[in-house]
Amino acid sequence: MGEPVTLCPADAVADLEMKAFSVGPDFIAVARIGDGLYAFDDTCTHAACSLADGELEGATVVCPCHMGQYDLKTGEVLDGPPPDPINVYPVYEDDGKLMVELD
Amino acid sequence: MPETYVVAGANLAGGTAAATLRGDGFEGRVVLVGEEPVAPYERPPLSKEFLRGEAPFEKALIRPPDFWDMNQIECRFGSRVARIDSGSREAILDDGEAIRYDKVLVATGLRNRTLGVPGAHLGGVHTLRTVADAEAIRARTAGATRAVVIGMGFIGAEVAASLRLCGLEVVAVEPLPAPCYRALGPQIGAVVAAIHADHGVKMHLGESVDAFEGGERVERVVTGSGMRIDCDVVVVGVGTTPVTGLLEDEGVHLKNGIVVDEHCRTNVDGVYAAGDVANHLHPLLGHHIRVEHWQNAMKQGAAAAKAMLGSPDPYDEVHWFWSDQYDTNIQSAGHVSDWANPVIRGDLEARSFVAFYLRDGWIEGAVALNRGRDLRRCIALMKSKAVVDPAKLADADTDIRSALATA
Repeated sequence: MGEPVTLCPADAVADLEMKAFSVGPDFIAVARIGDGLYAFDDTCTHAACSLADGELEGATVVCPCHMGQYDLKTGEVLDGPPPDPINVYPVYEDDGKLMVELD
Repeated sequence: MPETYVVAGANLAGGTAAATLRGDGFEGRVVLVGEEPVAPYERPPLSKEFLRGEAPFEKALIRPPDFWDMNQIECRFGSRVARIDSGSREAILDDGEAIRYDKVLVATGLRNRTLGVPGAHLGGVHTLRTVADAEAIRARTAGATRAVVIGMGFIGAEVAASLRLCGLEVVAVEPLPAPCYRALGPQIGAVVAAIHADHGVKMHLGESVDAFEGGERVERVVTGSGMRIDCDVVVVGVGTTPVTGLLEDEGVHLKNGIVVDEHCRTNVDGVYAAGDVANHLHPLLGHHIRVEHWQNAMKQGAAAAKAMLGSPDPYDEVHWFWSDQYDTNIQSAGHVSDWANPVIRGDLEARSFVAFYLRDGWIEGAVALNRGRDLRRCIALMKSKAVVDPAKLADADTDIRSALATA
């Protein structure tokens, strides 16, 4: 795992919300579902839409453009047109900040 | 003796069905027969990324190239089921080979209609269905500057957008009053017309085609009102015909495609149909419907395979499709029977909205531009036929999932 990167204040991502962050050349999305935090590639592998603009259905993100669906725990494609999975990353709160560890 | 299941049509519906048979544990023989000389692929990129040269063909394959061999699916690509003999239970290929089947799935899809006008045979007059068609259009447009698109349904509208993005001048001729008129209705059709006008497509609506003129290659289009439009290439998208010839004289009920029940079964034992060719009894709608959508091809293909394996579950997905034109993402769900008086959430002018079409208080259909999350949220409401509050639907600050009417 790489060095932890600070994304934002911990309260910037509310419950059942997603937000996308630019980290170097990458776009990383964070979702909060109750006590769970999920960090994953924001860019859909099908047509490069921003997954954070999509919909959360449990621990599944649905792409806003063509309804590709990914499991937020594994990054695996569950349904729809995406050809490849997305990467998922460790994410946690530390001292009031959201931290993510990229590969 | 292990059973043999034959799938006629090596496309998204047929390929998904064959893969599902194996995925769900069928151990008999699976034979996948398809007219095109390539493995099953999805067609949406053909009018978009592939046509513009932005994505390779391999990206459109529905499974990795070695999938079919690894799953012991016998592939007959470049071959066609010419006839199904439901008495002897044989699928007869165009080279005469007869394959004895226990069950057969017909997923033969569509053929493009052509215009029966003078000059329709000229070089440079294209239709688009297969990857070979798309390659031919790419080759023809490479050195061209002026294109005419005939028919502004989804294929025509997407081709027009792609050719504009590739720098060609595009003139469109459409007999109906707006692009995508049948699928999106007059109001949203007018928004789509404005999007194409903004991108420099010159559109002649309510206009027909009388002839194509030229030497060996098309040089101009002559319209019904006498306009002469000079061009280097023409793409015709004027609709389709279901491919049902293989079932003629077999007693299979054919009407607007192949008529099937909610389990994708025809009226003849052992014969199933799915995808663009199937006129399916949809449990949500209570009547037969045939649609030509990516999602339906994939999901109905899988559902038909499961039905062949004995699943009692009907196919009852809410129909959904998308179209990408320039930077506009269009999505539509459900089935609209009346285009009058939609409830609008968002802003038509800003091209960010959902139009809801209600029937007896529930959402029968919805069309969204650049508003995928909202569209996704209303699908569950459509499936449950829940009675909704139009004021809540129209209020962009109210979550669509909580738009139920309160007693």
